[in-house]
Amino acid sequence: MSDAILQKIRKTEFFKELSDAATSAVAENASVRHYVPNETVMRKGDPADSFFVILDGHLKIVTTDAKGDEIIINKVGPGEAIGELALVDDRPRSAGVIALDEVEVLELTKEAFFKLLEQRLDVSLGILRGFSNRLRFSTTYIEKVIDWSQKTAAGDYSFLEQTQPITNPAGSDDAKAAQLLSTFYSMVRKVKEREDDLKHELERLTFEIDQERRKREFDEITSTEFYANLKEQAKALRQKRNSK
Amino acid sequence: MAGKIVSIHSFRGGTGKSNTTANLASQVALTGKRVGVVDTDIQSPGIHVLFGLDEQKMGKTLNDFLHGKATIREVGFSVGDNPGDGEGLVKLAGKNLFLFPSSIKGGDISQILREGIDFNMLNEGLQTAITEFELDYLFIDTHPGLNEETLLSIATSDILIIILRPDSQDLQGTSVTVDIARSLDVPNLFLMVNKALPKYDFAGIKSDIEKQFQATVTSVLPLSFDMAENASKDLFSLRYPDHEWSVALKKVVPYILEAK
Repeated sequence: MSDAILQKIRKTEFFKELSDAATSAVAENASVRHYVPNETVMRKGDPADSFFVILDGHLKIVTTDAKGDEIIINKVGPGEAIGELALVDDRPRSAGVIALDEVEVLELTKEAFFKLLEQRLDVSLGILRGFSNRLRFSTTYIEKVIDWSQKTAAGDYSFLEQTQPITNPAGSDDAKAAQLLSTFYSMVRKVKEREDDLKHELERLTFEIDQERRKREFDEITSTEFYANLKEQAKALRQKRNSK
Repeated sequence: MAGKIVSIHSFRGGTGKSNTTANLASQVALTGKRVGVVDTDIQSPGIHVLFGLDEQKMGKTLNDFLHGKATIREVGFSVGDNPGDGEGLVKLAGKNLFLFPSSIKGGDISQILREGIDFNMLNEGLQTAITEFELDYLFIDTHPGLNEETLLSIATSDILIIILRPDSQDLQGTSVTVDIARSLDVPNLFLMVNKALPKYDFAGIKSDIEKQFQATVTSVLPLSFDMAENASKDLFSLRYPDHEWSVALKKVVPYILEAK
């Protein structure tokens, strides 16, 4: 297999932790395939006996809705793997995959993959290292999201200022967790903006009391004989009740 | 310690006075206090509906008492023994809450309007209600405005709560009521703002009004469609205790319980 292909394999998420020797071993057991735009790479329900690592080009992962119309679940590109779940479970393909442009992939059958794991400890370790990195990254991001959620719930937005604005890292697979973090960050930013706007909009009422009218009405009520009696009675009543 | 008279007043109608009175009295009853509610809005009685009382269930009324046809003991209706079937009302079962309703019969109303109220008798009745039912608090739901019967209830009250909406007309009227309450030496004067539009700055309303009148604003309650839809029967704050209106209403309770 050419050096160019080996370079591409080394850049994939799945195999990036592999040494040169291990990468060569992978390449020897895999085959490179090419697809033209709109060509079907796999169909939903097909037996899952291999997985693909994308070297070039883009593909769409599709399923169909109740009416039979195509729904695009995801788009994938260079460096990403498709159908890697087939390595651990025996279930048929859960979605279809169609090439969007000229595509070059590395196909590794399940059989070849297991053989490789059996024979080459360095390949196994490299793949495990890749998995554990992904997991560690995800955990860090999730912890961050939990922390931010708690702060947001408490109305503490200080982390927005203390954190560099995060932009969406596109592409790679383990960037999904980072993407969650970035989406979360911009969501909180927008929530805060709306909240600030709302506070600003709160209308301050101004009250004007006509003091002359207030005095006139008070005098009208208190100048009656009824009121004078009432005031006396109220006074007597309070004294009586207080003495009890 | 003698029971306290709590008058709930508003200068104009439509402030949600009867509803506030009924809910507030019930909240105080829930704390274990013995509570009475008198409907002195003889011209347009209404608070009985909130306690699930209708014309058929209503026995003797305040009108009968004022005409010498019944004793106060006969007029008092125990809500705790007959809590009605509203989801909020049932929470009053076993509580000591007594309602002293006004008659809703047209004839009774026109008679009292024609003949007027014997104030000494009404006053006597309030005091008797406190003694005979051993009340800690007697809430008076007054007629809006400053007519004579309202002035009487202000004069006799230990605690006066004036309910107002945050608008100029209510504020103007409230200013006169506040002056009257001070002239009559009412020991505890509180203002409660109701039906504030959510877009207003509630804290601002509270501080502005407090500054204006040098009196405590217990809380600012929001205008609530939930409240408007569900308030005609049953007790809203008991039925929906976590609703923002109920939460704001409950803030008034400590002011009542701690008043000297």
